[in-house]
Amino acid sequence: MNPLVVNRVVKQYGDKTAVNGLSFEVEAGEIYGLLGANGAGKTTTMRMVLGLIMPDGGEIRYNGKSYSEEQLRMLGYLPEERGMYPKVKLSEQIVYLAQLRGMSRKDAEANLKRWLDRFQVPEYYDKKVEELSKGNQQKIQFIAAVIHRPQIVILDEAFSGLDPVNVELLKSTVKELRDEGTSILFSTHRMEHVEELCRNITIMHKSNPVLQGAIRDIKSRFPREKVVLSADAPIEGLETISGVQGVTRTEQGYLLQIAKAETAQDILKHALAQGPIQKFELLEPTLNEIFIRTVGDRHE
Amino acid sequence: MNSMWTVMSFTMRNKLRSKSFIVTTIILAVLLVVGSNVPYFIDKFASGDGATKVGYITNEPGDLIKGLEMYYGKQEKPKVELVPIEAAGSADANVQALLQAIENKEIKGYLTFAPNEQAGFPDVTYHSKKMLDTDTQQSLQAAFQEAKTNQAIQDAKLTDAQLKLLFDPVKIQAVQISDNANGKTAEEQGTAIGLTYVILILLFMAVMITGQLIATEITAEKSSRVMEIIVTSVSPLKQMFGKVLGTFIVGLVQIVVLVGATIVSMQLPHNANSFKSLGIRLDTIDPKMLIFAVVLYLLGYFLYAMLFAAIGSIVSRTEDLGQAVMPVTMLTLAGFYIAIFGLTHPESPFIVACSYIPFFSPFILFLRIGLSNPAWWEIALSVGILVASVLIIGWLAAKIYRVGVLMYGKKPSLKEVMKAMKAYKV
Repeated sequence: MNPLVVNRVVKQYGDKTAVNGLSFEVEAGEIYGLLGANGAGKTTTMRMVLGLIMPDGGEIRYNGKSYSEEQLRMLGYLPEERGMYPKVKLSEQIVYLAQLRGMSRKDAEANLKRWLDRFQVPEYYDKKVEELSKGNQQKIQFIAAVIHRPQIVILDEAFSGLDPVNVELLKSTVKELRDEGTSILFSTHRMEHVEELCRNITIMHKSNPVLQGAIRDIKSRFPREKVVLSADAPIEGLETISGVQGVTRTEQGYLLQIAKAETAQDILKHALAQGPIQKFELLEPTLNEIFIRTVGDRHE
Repeated sequence: MNSMWTVMSFTMRNKLRSKSFIVTTIILAVLLVVGSNVPYFIDKFASGDGATKVGYITNEPGDLIKGLEMYYGKQEKPKVELVPIEAAGSADANVQALLQAIENKEIKGYLTFAPNEQAGFPDVTYHSKKMLDTDTQQSLQAAFQEAKTNQAIQDAKLTDAQLKLLFDPVKIQAVQISDNANGKTAEEQGTAIGLTYVILILLFMAVMITGQLIATEITAEKSSRVMEIIVTSVSPLKQMFGKVLGTFIVGLVQIVVLVGATIVSMQLPHNANSFKSLGIRLDTIDPKMLIFAVVLYLLGYFLYAMLFAAIGSIVSRTEDLGQAVMPVTMLTLAGFYIAIFGLTHPESPFIVACSYIPFFSPFILFLRIGLSNPAWWEIALSVGILVASVLIIGWLAAKIYRVGVLMYGKKPSLKEVMKAMKAYKV
């Protein structure tokens, strides 16, 4: 039994359907990507998982059990809109939040110290949140979401507003949580993070799940339509090959847009005939392209 | 239950430790302590300063001055002391002498008399650099009045018996009728009115200040988005009641500090006498009144606190809060002012009717208990209605709160809230 099972949930606001028959499961030690354009129904889905709103249809099961207050305590939540008490000492509010989730004060204090050490900011313990930079507030917010060692963590845009160094730091922390067996529901607009972290994803569009499954499977379902080519000398006549839809010169060589994967072999032959090749690669579609295609196509 | 205590103690600790709370409490306490010393200072200045010295020329109408001196001679602490100034011969020289006396601070002002045949009593003029203050004026007026009356009586040649009949003062004794045999005496009534007034103000302030505090905190939590984390950790119901209870204790601490400071300061030996002379005595307070004050404070507080909480949950920005709480503020103000009006008419039908209206009854029922003598069933009915409304408003507020805390953006209309309340199952 997977820790988090969402089974055909439906949520309606008046006549408007916010989520329409969404199902997915998150295993222990898995980061599950929930993607979608703004207003696609991600937040509503997460709020249902958090038990803030009840689904009108379908069910959500936590370790096989339905929603209850005890379940709340094994959830951790990092909301997209960050928020802490600006004027309260950091240690106090984090301990408060941990206590609300059923942790003892002593455990919470010890845990908080450990986390601050891990992020190399132990001096923040007695500071007020308003004294911290935005990026550091973000870290604190993250600690607030995971301090009580939740079994299921919901991360909404976890890395927004962070500099690359801190993104890496937080990313490695998220991976660590995953390796410890935490189930993570991850939502973001940054596809490269999804590709790096998630095994399975759901792309939602206008309340409906439009694409679901393992990233590898999804990618294989989309044709490979891009070729990267670089050689010592310029290569002539690439446009003339049948099946090539476009050629772009880049600093490193050429980027070709093709209609069918077979065309790639023709390109390789054509290029080899003119001289040695340094790099040839038939690119698989990026998640970004898949997302734009899936969601963008239906915008019309 | 456990997490409600956590919310409560967190709310409490943060408020009690906040600078604004400590500073406000200290300022209010200082004001109250100073205020409770005011009667003492008034006494001190009024008696210590002594009488106003008023000069006159020795050859002025002798009978009249004798009458005045007799009048002031009878008083324990006369407000006016008459100072004779030697006549200097001419009228101008007299005036010069009097002015000189003012310069030398021997007198504050002086009296001159101009014969008035028609009235049979001279016209009196008071000359001074400063305006004649009302105390001195009243005193002089009364003195002249008596002197004049005495003169007239002497002229009429009345017997002593007739005189006694004429001057014996009429006495009215005021006793409030009550169920128990010994009603309240005038003095106790004075204390009751004073106490009622003070407790009404306390009640009003407690409800307003703590109510606003709750609303502001909830809105601040919403606008800082902390709310999203909190509502996912603890059910909104527990959060709301935890907050209401926590703020209640904060308010209670403030009241205890303020009332304590006042009572201690009133009991100080030098103050105690001043209050006694004003007819305010703490030991005459009816314990029944205090019990009802506490009960009504509790009920009133929770009634309004939950309304404020519900409103705070709907608003997402603190800027919009003032406008949103306006109706509730008006309701409190109305209750308070009706009660103030009722201080002089505690049994008017309007007041009696208002003592059954839940949002007014905390103020007005207390007023009636303090100043008139409502039947026990009247009290029971009013308290019963109040308790029922606390429960209904609490339930309603919890529902609104549940919906409100997750609503962002513009202030929702009543219709939108109602619609959303159906969508969320509490």
